[in-house]
Amino acid sequence: MAESLNGAPVRSRCIGEMAVIYATDYLNKLSGERIERECRKQLEQGCRALVINFRDTELVNSIGVSILLGVIDAAETVGAQLVFSDVNRQTIALFEMLGLTRHVALAQDEQEALSTLTEFTTPQSAVVGH
Amino acid sequence: MPRRILKNRGERRILGRVEPEDFIGRAEELERIDSLLSPGAKARGLLVLTPPAAGVSELLRQSYDEIFRRHEGVVPVYFAFSTDDKTTLATARRFFHTFLQQLAAWHHNDPSQLETVLPMADLADAVAPADHEWVEQLIEAVERARDDERALLRLCLSAPQKVSARGTRVLVMLDGLHLTERLKGEASLGAEFAQALMRSDLPFVLAGLRRRLLDIVRFEGDDLSRVQSLRLERLPDRDARTLVERLAKQAGLVLHDETRDLIVQQLGGKPFYMTSLLQSAREKEVALTTFLNCQQLYVDELMGGRLFRHFDSMMESITTASAQRRALIRVLYESKTSDGSRAQVETWRKRLNVEPDQLQQIIRELHINELASLNANFIEVGNGSHAWSDYLATRYRMEVAAEPRALVVAETLLETLKRAPHTMARHYRRAAALGLRELLVYFNGQRVPASLLHYDRFSRAYKGLDAESLAVGLDAETDLVRLPQVVHAASCAAFYPPIQAFCDEERCAVAPGFDAGTYTDANEVVWIAAEIESKLEAGRGMTEVWCDRLMNVARACGFSRVRLWLVAPEGFSAEASELLAERDAYGSSRHQLELLTARLSADLAATASEEEGTDEFELVIPMGEDTELIAATTVDQIARRLNFQPEAINQIKTALVEACINASEHSLSPDRKIYQRFRLESDKLVVTVSSRGVLPPNFSEQNGGRTRAQSNGHEVQATRTNGSSERRGWGLTLIKSLMDEVEFERVDDGTRLRMIKYLRRT
Repeated sequence: MAESLNGAPVRSRCIGEMAVIYATDYLNKLSGERIERECRKQLEQGCRALVINFRDTELVNSIGVSILLGVIDAAETVGAQLVFSDVNRQTIALFEMLGLTRHVALAQDEQEALSTLTEFTTPQSAVVGH
Repeated sequence: MPRRILKNRGERRILGRVEPEDFIGRAEELERIDSLLSPGAKARGLLVLTPPAAGVSELLRQSYDEIFRRHEGVVPVYFAFSTDDKTTLATARRFFHTFLQQLAAWHHNDPSQLETVLPMADLADAVAPADHEWVEQLIEAVERARDDERALLRLCLSAPQKVSARGTRVLVMLDGLHLTERLKGEASLGAEFAQALMRSDLPFVLAGLRRRLLDIVRFEGDDLSRVQSLRLERLPDRDARTLVERLAKQAGLVLHDETRDLIVQQLGGKPFYMTSLLQSAREKEVALTTFLNCQQLYVDELMGGRLFRHFDSMMESITTASAQRRALIRVLYESKTSDGSRAQVETWRKRLNVEPDQLQQIIRELHINELASLNANFIEVGNGSHAWSDYLATRYRMEVAAEPRALVVAETLLETLKRAPHTMARHYRRAAALGLRELLVYFNGQRVPASLLHYDRFSRAYKGLDAESLAVGLDAETDLVRLPQVVHAASCAAFYPPIQAFCDEERCAVAPGFDAGTYTDANEVVWIAAEIESKLEAGRGMTEVWCDRLMNVARACGFSRVRLWLVAPEGFSAEASELLAERDAYGSSRHQLELLTARLSADLAATASEEEGTDEFELVIPMGEDTELIAATTVDQIARRLNFQPEAINQIKTALVEACINASEHSLSPDRKIYQRFRLESDKLVVTVSSRGVLPPNFSEQNGGRTRAQSNGHEVQATRTNGSSERRGWGLTLIKSLMDEVEFERVDDGTRLRMIKYLRRT
């Protein structure tokens, strides 16, 4: 697990106005800040929906969670949607314990997250929003 | 500082009170004395200015022993003035006698000759045959001149020169020169000695208390370029710790790191005080394993041991009459405990009811011994050492307030025990301080990237970047700040004592200087820097309070152009950064400061320690660098042995990670290590996480307390707020939610968290 903590940047990919950011195996201050940085970059570049994929994440600490709250705030400020995907059972329990799940949607996997968000980012739904 | 290894290691000591290999620290000082003997030496004389009880006598004795043992053509002579010396005549004769006896012992290369005091008349026979004639003549001349002070002084002081004139070099070391002022006689013996040595070609060392030595030694019209001064400072903590360990080992005493550090800090690293306490422990066969044991010994020492006798004889030498001494104890204690602790000389005279001359004498002695400070017409009774303060308090309570001894003993013990964690916490804070004062001195007009002084810019540009990218970014910055050329940097408290109410001395500094190349009024600027305590990004309110505090300092000191610089561990919130910009002040996080320090070349070090173990799993990890992951992996493997379910294992891992993070973030640990113990029992896993250092404020009420955690608690509930200020500090609550039992065990130093997870078989 620790092998990935070598300073490697956070992986991400863009699909239209959506971006998927991949969290690493341990969500702590450093990796959290990398995710936060990447999310803010994507939002500045015009992304309207973000997926944070936790498929590799085995362990989360409270500092990492506090940074995720910052990401939720940042997305909300610019009116972007945010979904967490592929969160394992233990991490979901932790997120619930810390009240995170009240502020962010969870998806089973990345595909489900993207499907949900596609509805949100289409012009049609935007019109509905008005 | 490495301990000096002597050539003839293993040979017994001569004048030294400890074996050479047990003389800890002071290697540099020994070298300085030794360097006087080298052929190309620039300096011939050395003035050793020392604070009280810093160990200068042993330094000179060790130097004597080494030079004696080497026997390379230099006769060492060590003479210590004493409080028992009463007259100039008698003291000069004692010097003459000591000199001849040490000369004889050196000629025969027989240190045992120093063990018995020979009559003066026998000394001519004891020296080398070649010296017999002149020594005999000199002894006769000294006997004849017994009532002529001037003549006798001249004769006595000529002795070393006569040896030198016959081709044998002599190094004269005089200790306690400040004591010569008490001698009755026409001449000032200290000044006479100094002048005689200066006008000779002999190498010499003159040592005395730093507040008096330079007033006694006046080299009028002499070549001062041949005399250097050496300021003996407090024994560094590292050496003081080694000394305590060595003393404990010799005495066969059990000593723990925590108690060792308490002894060092409480006794100010003073060798005499520490030796006294350890001797007492040896005599009473007390293991130094708990703070309670240490403080009991300490209080015993204060009430009737060596420390008591040390301070008592000092007080007796200041004023001999017991009624007057009691009045002095009263005035000292009441001045010390009153607000400001500063009084006019006239007030003291009235309270002590003494004649002006006598008052001057008392105040001078207090000043020289650093028990009080005389500045112009004011006397200030400073904090001094713990030992002196405690001695004073106990004497006051028993002699002035007439309280029962048992009550004084009991309450002093309680107070010192309560104080112990604060003493250690202050030490840890001091050790963990970022060294602003030292850093300011390094500024020296250098240019640094502006983002290092503006947290908001730094955060925007570099947060989340790896070290390499960050360094590249900083190097590429074009907006640079020219730091001032600092001419003097001191603690803020030195300029404005009331600031001590808000921060430790080491955490706030004032540095006047110039922010451009020319020394003009327009370029004059004073930097006032402070480290502020904030677990999170410092908010606007806190930042404003600190800016106001520092501006108060500026106003009180009359500084016209000021630059404020605040350092908060996690930086500043956006609102606080705005405020800093409005005030034209700088704000940096600890990370920025470290980067700045690296650029201005400075470094820090850490110490180490170890812990014993029994039949449990034990793990010690260094703090930082995500080492909590190693702990998590370890506990994962251990928990599997008891067949915990994956979900429970993850909870244990998360709780352990949080405990490690708490230890790293809040303890100011001196060894930067986290000690973990994992004990498997039939139905549970017990995990203990401990670290040395400061007890975090939110832990302090719970230390020793116990909580039954709710295994599936939902009470943590992180809240989203406008800022990040409430997004941290969930660690402890989270631990309680994840584990079944959480308990803070009472420890002398730092924290020990015990967590239990019960096995639930499915």
